[in-house]
Amino acid sequence: MSEFVWVALPYLAFTFLVFGSAVRYTVSERTWTTKSSEFLEKKQLRIAGPLFHFALLLVFLGHVGGILVPQEVTEMFGIDEHLYHMGALYIGGVAGILLVVGFLLLMKRRFTSVYMKVNTSSMDVWLFLFLGLTILTGFAGTMLNADGAFNYREYIGPWFRSLLIMQPKPELMLNIPMMFKVHMFSWMAVCFIFPFSRLVHCLSFPFLYLWRSAIVYRRR
Amino acid sequence: MKIKAQISMVMNLDKCIGCHTCSITCKNTWTNREGAEYMYFNNVETKPGIGYPKHWEDQNRWKGGWILKDGKLQLATGSKGNRLMKLFFHPEQPELKDYFEPWTYDYETLIHSKRKNNQPVARPRSLITKEKMEIEWGPNWEDDLAGGNTARADVNLQKIGQNIALDFHDIFMKYLPRLCNHCLNPACVAACPSGAIYKRDEDGVVLISQDVCRGWRHCVPACPYKKIYYNWQTNKAEKCVFCYPRLENGLPQICADTCVGRMRYVGVLLYDMDKVEAVASTENPQEIYDNMLDVLLDPHDPAVAKAAKEQGIPDNWIKAAKESPVFRLIKEWQIALPLHAEYRTVPMVWYVPPMSPILHKDAASVHFPEAEAMRIPVAYLAQIFSAGNEDVIRRVLNTLLDLRRYMQQRTRGEATTEFDTKYGEHTLYDMYRLLGIAKYRDRYRIPAGVNATQEEKRLHQGVGGFSDCAFGGCSGSAPSASGCNGCAGGGHE
Repeated sequence: MSEFVWVALPYLAFTFLVFGSAVRYTVSERTWTTKSSEFLEKKQLRIAGPLFHFALLLVFLGHVGGILVPQEVTEMFGIDEHLYHMGALYIGGVAGILLVVGFLLLMKRRFTSVYMKVNTSSMDVWLFLFLGLTILTGFAGTMLNADGAFNYREYIGPWFRSLLIMQPKPELMLNIPMMFKVHMFSWMAVCFIFPFSRLVHCLSFPFLYLWRSAIVYRRR
Repeated sequence: MKIKAQISMVMNLDKCIGCHTCSITCKNTWTNREGAEYMYFNNVETKPGIGYPKHWEDQNRWKGGWILKDGKLQLATGSKGNRLMKLFFHPEQPELKDYFEPWTYDYETLIHSKRKNNQPVARPRSLITKEKMEIEWGPNWEDDLAGGNTARADVNLQKIGQNIALDFHDIFMKYLPRLCNHCLNPACVAACPSGAIYKRDEDGVVLISQDVCRGWRHCVPACPYKKIYYNWQTNKAEKCVFCYPRLENGLPQICADTCVGRMRYVGVLLYDMDKVEAVASTENPQEIYDNMLDVLLDPHDPAVAKAAKEQGIPDNWIKAAKESPVFRLIKEWQIALPLHAEYRTVPMVWYVPPMSPILHKDAASVHFPEAEAMRIPVAYLAQIFSAGNEDVIRRVLNTLLDLRRYMQQRTRGEATTEFDTKYGEHTLYDMYRLLGIAKYRDRYRIPAGVNATQEEKRLHQGVGGFSDCAFGGCSGSAPSASGCNGCAGGGHE
C-alpha cells in the first residue's frame, strides 16, 4: 500500500503534470490561457489578485528552499535546525497568512459576483477545491508544528528528493503527521488536474518578454 | 532605407452620414459570437462625446500609447519590468461596464404570456449573466448628441477650454468611425508579454495569434484607441483583422465595401521602416504629422520603385502603390490626417476632416464659408487630428473649400479664379473625381494574390501542394524575416 501511495501516486502525478501539459500545449494551445477575469470584475481583484499571486510566489520559493535543499547543506552554511525552523516558521507563516487571505478573498469574489458565475467552469471548481485544500493544510501543518516537533526535512524533503533521483524511499513517509499527509495528497491532486485546468498559465510566465524587441514582424 | 508595404485606409469624414452600416456589417462578419457580444471592431462615434469605451481618449486615465521619457519611447503604462508587476492586476484595464453590458430581449414572453389586461413586455436581459437588467449605456449611446451631458465631458473639448459654443443654435457634431489603425509603431504589439501580436511583414496588418495569446491582456490598456478587446469566453484578446482574407483576394474590408456614403478609401503605402522610430519619438507632438509624411515614400520616384523591387516587394504591389488612392489623399494632396498622432503609434487609418454648416451668428454675413465660420471649431478638429495644430486643419479645410468654389464656378460656366492653395485646376478636378464621384474602382486599389515576387513564385513552383504552407513557410529558401532590423521574427509559425 505504501508503495502505491508514496511511490506510484506521486510518479503518476508528475507524469500528468509534465506529459499532460506537453500534450495540451501541442494539440490545444488555443485553450492555453490565464483565464483572466479582470474584464468581468475589477474592484475586488485589485487587492486579492496580486496578494494571492505574490504570496504564492513566496511560498513556492520557500518550498524550493525547504524541500529541495538538504538539511546538511544549510547546516554547512552554519544554519542549525533551530535557526532554520524559526526562519521557516516566521517568514513562511507570514507568507502563508498572505496566501490564505488572498485565496479566501479570491474565493469570495468568485462565488459572490454574478459576473464571475459565467466564467467559472466545473474544472475551476475542482481546482479551487484541491488548491484550497493544499494551501489550508500546508498552512495548518506549519502552524500545528510551530514547536518543530516534526522535522519535515528529515522525512518529506528526503522522500521528495528520492523520487526525483528515481530511488524512492516510501518508508520515510509512513509516520508523518496527518495534516502533512493530506497536504501531500492534495498537491498530487492538483498535479493531476493541472494540465486540464487554467493552472497551465504558471508555465507561461513571460520571462522572455524582458529581452524581446518592442515591435514584432512576422512573415508567413 | 528599408521599404515595407502597408495597406492603409482613408475616411472622408465630410461624407460620413453616421449610418453605422460599417459597424453592422463588421459585427455580423466578425464579432457575433459568445464572448464577443460587446466588441465592435469598427464603431461610429458622435463627436463631441466620450465614445466607446467611455473616455477612451483620456490618456491620463487609460495610459494608452507611448510617451517620451528622456527622449526615448516608452509605453505610457510603464517600463517592461513595471508592467510585469501588473500581470495579476492591471489598474488601467477597462472592464465590461466601461464599454457597455450587451443585452437581448425576452421575446419569448411576447409569445407565451398568459392572457392579461396589459400587453406583455419583452424585458432586456444581459447577454453575459442572462439575468434581467436595466439598460444604462450602449455602444452608441451618444448618437447624434443624445444627452449633451456626456458630450461636455469630451477631453478634446475640455482641452480647448469651455468657451466653445454649445449654444443651441450653434451646437455642432460630427461622426468619427473608428477601427484598428494598424499602426507602424503599435503599442499593443510592444505591450504583449507573450509576443502573440505581430505586424504582418507583407501588408502591415496587425494580428493576434489566438494560439500564442495567453490572456495577459496588456494589449488592451496599451492601445490608446482601445481597439483590442478581451474575449471573456475564450479568454484571449481579439482585434480588427482589417478583413485580411478579403485583402488577400484584392477586396476591400467589409466596412469599406459596404460604406453607403462611399467615404472609405483603401490602398497601398510604401514606407521607410528605418525612420518609424524617429518619427514616433518626435519631440514636439505637433510635428509628428509632418514627419509621418516623410516616412511615406513616393512610389513614382524611380529610385524608390527600384529599391522596393530589390527589397522583395512584388511588382503588383508597387503598381498598386503608384495607383493608390490613399497615397494621393495623404501625401500628394495632404488632406488626410492621422487620428491623434500625439499617441505616437503612427496610425495608418487617416481622416479627411469634415466641413460643417456656417455658424448661426455669422450666417447673414458669410457668402461662401471660411474655415473659421464653420460650426465645428477648428480648435476642436485640431485636438483630434493634428495634436492641437490649428494651421494644419485650416489648410485642409481651405483646400476643400477651394475645391468647392472651383467646382461651383466650373459648373456655372464661370471663369475659374485663382486659388490660394498650391493646387492647380487639374488637381482640384482629380480631387473632385476621387472625393465627390468616388467610383468603386477608384476608391480601392488592393493587390490580390500572394505577396511574392515572380522569382519567388518560380522558385516555389512545384514545391508544395495545397496542404503545405505557401511561400516562405516550408522550403525555407525564400528570404525569411531578414527584412526586419532589430525586430524579433516571432518563433511561432
